[in-house]
Amino acid sequence: MAASSVIDIKGLSKIYGSGSKATVALDKLTLQVQPGEIFGYLGPNGAGKTTTIRVLLDLIRPSSGSASIFGMDARQQSVEIHQRIGFLPGELSLWQGRSGAQVIHYIASVRGDIKSIVKQAEELAARLKLDISKKVRDLSSGNKRKLGLVIAMMHSPDLLILDEPTNGLDPLVQQTFHELMNEFRDKGKTVFLSSHVLSEVQAICDRVGILRDGDLKAVQSVDALTDVKFRWVHVQFRDGVPAEVAQGLRNLPAVSEFNADGPHARMRLQGDFDPLLRTLGAGYVEQLHVEEPTLEDIFLAYYSGEGAGA
Amino acid sequence: MSGIIIGNTLRTAWKQMLYWGLGLGLLGMYIVFIASNSDIVQGYADLFESLPPALLTAFGASSAEFFRTTEGWVVTILVSELALFLSVYAVLAGLAISANEEQSGILDVVLSLPISRRAFLLEKWLAYALLAFGTVLISALLPTLTAIGLGIDADIGIIFASILAVYPSALIVITVTVLLSTLFRRRIAAIGAVAAFVIGSYMSSIVGSSASGPIADLLETLSYFSHVGGESIVSGEYEPGGTLALLVAAGLGFALSAHLFDRRDIGT
Repeated sequence: MAASSVIDIKGLSKIYGSGSKATVALDKLTLQVQPGEIFGYLGPNGAGKTTTIRVLLDLIRPSSGSASIFGMDARQQSVEIHQRIGFLPGELSLWQGRSGAQVIHYIASVRGDIKSIVKQAEELAARLKLDISKKVRDLSSGNKRKLGLVIAMMHSPDLLILDEPTNGLDPLVQQTFHELMNEFRDKGKTVFLSSHVLSEVQAICDRVGILRDGDLKAVQSVDALTDVKFRWVHVQFRDGVPAEVAQGLRNLPAVSEFNADGPHARMRLQGDFDPLLRTLGAGYVEQLHVEEPTLEDIFLAYYSGEGAGA
Repeated sequence: MSGIIIGNTLRTAWKQMLYWGLGLGLLGMYIVFIASNSDIVQGYADLFESLPPALLTAFGASSAEFFRTTEGWVVTILVSELALFLSVYAVLAGLAISANEEQSGILDVVLSLPISRRAFLLEKWLAYALLAFGTVLISALLPTLTAIGLGIDADIGIIFASILAVYPSALIVITVTVLLSTLFRRRIAAIGAVAAFVIGSYMSSIVGSSASGPIADLLETLSYFSHVGGESIVSGEYEPGGTLALLVAAGLGFALSAHLFDRRDIGT
């Protein structure tokens, strides 16, 4: 399994500082990312997502453990690895006084094969509606992000490593980004993206790793992660929530987080609908709406230690 | 080493080279212009002759005799000022090699490209070494051409060579700045340390040359200002050992910087 992995991280730890000031950014992280998948790396700020990415790119060195990409050591063979990857940092900084086209040309020249890379960059810029003739300092944060995406993708890498890629992008461009990622995956290439935008991960990722305090809490397919046994149920009664119904719902073992507000009631249902429907029968139900849990709910469940099946 | 980063750095930083070269060259032109009046030169020589030796060294000369010839006057006045001003340029150039881009985060993008850290640092260092040479060359050409144009009675070759001899000191400051940027990582800490190095070296040169004894000798030897060589070129006693020592020290300093840069984390 590990031999064919595009990214193979084993027991990776990163500790900043020493003694009483030591901070554990990553704690014995073990993770594999397979070819042709879009892997979402989820976690709040300070969870260790960017630290993981920086180790993979050999920008920082691990305290212990190892990381390899395409079977090559991330540190010893970083130049060979970087030939085959595209990277978008979370906080992209570029040369302010240069135009997008100049930045693209410079980076293309370091990568080699300038003509085809620049051509590809121009096509990507057109798709993202980015004017590359403008100087970097004149670009909005969203357009800088687009330029970063162009730079990361313009040489058709085998692996994309993207740190919070859609930060600052408007919804329309986010849609284009999703299309680009799906096309990229369809070519058999791999994406490793960190995000805290869970709907984005839900929309495009195949698997998700959830990181908290440098510790990988879970790695699951998005489908498995969302295949949880609870739903949110919204009920609207004609004459307010009857007291006996409210009491009955509160007493149901399958119901939790019950809230009543005027004619509206909201609750979390775990398990079958039948006991709920029988209890609701004591009142006059005008509307019933069932909402699948969002990844945010699942995310919170993991963070609270309940796990997805909670 | 592809040379792409050298080319790119030269393309983006040549204007600074030109402006600094012109600025320092104008200073040289001004001094040559003053030197074209032999009465002023002799007046200064008389004045300097009355100064105590310790104060004389502050003007970059070990003897008032250097002020008696026009080329001696120009070189003594100009080279000490040039070495100091050029150190400022060299600090800025050294910071531009890695510290500025590391502080801004641009280095994350650059080092995610297929280029090793050592190759990156080497190309940038070579580029700024060339730019520093260009700066010194421009700052040497302007006063030299002015001296020719004014037809002053001086050995023009000595003036030109003495100004060019400042170059190794600039290379030393560039290298020390890179080394300190590598060690301290935070740009502001590196600036403070390199400023202490330049000022300390300048003071060591003055104290070392104005006092006597083993400590004074050591201070003078350790200061890169003492190895600039202008005075020895004027007196015909120039030996390339000092210049060579500065160039070797710069090379070794760079090798150490590259080694440390390759081993440490990037980013602040």
